[in-house]
Amino acid sequence: MGWRTGAREATPLLGGYIPVAISFGMVAVQAGFSVWQTILISTLIYAGASQFLFVAMVAAGAPWGLVVVMTLLINARHVVYGPSIAPWLPKSRWWLFLSHGLTDQIFALALSRLPQLPAEQRLGWYSGAMLLAWFSWVVGTAAGAIAGEELSRHWPLLGEIMPFALPALFLVLLAPRFTSRTWSIALGSTIAVAMLLTLYGFTNASIPLAAASGALLFYLAKLHARTGGRPDG
Amino acid sequence: MDNGFWLALLLVSAGTLCMRFLPLRWMQRHLLKQKHKGGLAAIPGWLSVLGPLMIAAMLGVSLVPAAAGWSAWFATLLGALSALMAWLWTKSLGWPVLAGVSSYGVVILLARITTGS
Repeated sequence: MGWRTGAREATPLLGGYIPVAISFGMVAVQAGFSVWQTILISTLIYAGASQFLFVAMVAAGAPWGLVVVMTLLINARHVVYGPSIAPWLPKSRWWLFLSHGLTDQIFALALSRLPQLPAEQRLGWYSGAMLLAWFSWVVGTAAGAIAGEELSRHWPLLGEIMPFALPALFLVLLAPRFTSRTWSIALGSTIAVAMLLTLYGFTNASIPLAAASGALLFYLAKLHARTGGRPDG
Repeated sequence: MDNGFWLALLLVSAGTLCMRFLPLRWMQRHLLKQKHKGGLAAIPGWLSVLGPLMIAAMLGVSLVPAAAGWSAWFATLLGALSALMAWLWTKSLGWPVLAGVSSYGVVILLARITTGS
C-alpha cells in the first residue's frame, strides 16, 4: 500500500516537526493569539518560518498588509517545488488539496523517493507522507498552545535534540546525489553558503540565495568541463 | 485585531496554497501537452538542477545549531557523520536518522552533565 509506505517514510520528519510546532504554539499564545487562532494558523498556512514571522509581526503591531506581503515573500520558494516533482505525480482532482502539504521537507522526501516508486503507488505515497506531516504539525501546535510550558518543563532537552532529525534526513536524501565533480561542487557550495547566511542571521533568505549560487556554480563547472577542463558526468 | 487577523490569515493561506498548487498544475499541463505532441515529457533542465540544490540549502540551514557553543557544533558533526555512516551501511531512510539523532543527543547530554547546566 503506497500511503502506508509514505506515512512510514515520513515518520523521521516528526522528530523535527513536533518540537518546532510545540514552540510555535507557545510563541503564538504568548504573543496574544487564542488557542484556536494558533491552531488555525498552523492548519491553514502550514509553513514554519512564515508562521513565526506572521505572529512576531502581529505582536509588534505591524500593518496587516505588510504582514501578508512579508509572509508570502518567505513562502515564495515553494513555487519551484511542484514543477520539480510534477513528472512523477499522476493526474488527480485532489491536487488542490494535496499540494497544501508540499512543504520543504515533503518536497525533499518526494523528490528523492517518487522516482523510485511504481507509478500506481505515487499518489498514495504522497498522500500518506503529506497527511502524517500535516497532522503532526497541527497536533504539535495544539500541544504547544495548550500545554507548551509544562511540556518544556518536563522534557527540557527533547526540543533541543529531536529537531536534529531534519538535517539527518536531508543528509540521507542528498548523499546519493554526489555522483560527479560538478554535482559535488554545486551541492557542497550550496550547503556552505546556506550555513554562512544562517550564521549571519539571514535565515529566511538563505534557501533561495544558496540554491541560486549553487546553480550558478553548477553551470560554471559544467562550462569549464566542456571547454577543456576535466571531463565530467 | 480580529477583522484584520482573519483577512490576513485568509490571504496568506490562499497565497501560499496558490504558490504550491498553480506551478504544479501548470507543469502537469505542460508535460501532458508535450506528451500529446509526441515529444519527450520532461521538465526544464534548470529545474532538475534547482531541486536537489534546494534540499542542499535546507540541509545547510538546518545544520547550524540553534544554541551557540562548541558542544552543539561537535554534536552536529558527530550526528551528521553517524547518519552518513548508517546510510552507507543500510541505504535506508529511518536508521540513519535514528543514528544521527542518537549521536547528537548523547553529545548534548554529556555536555550538559560535564558543564552542570
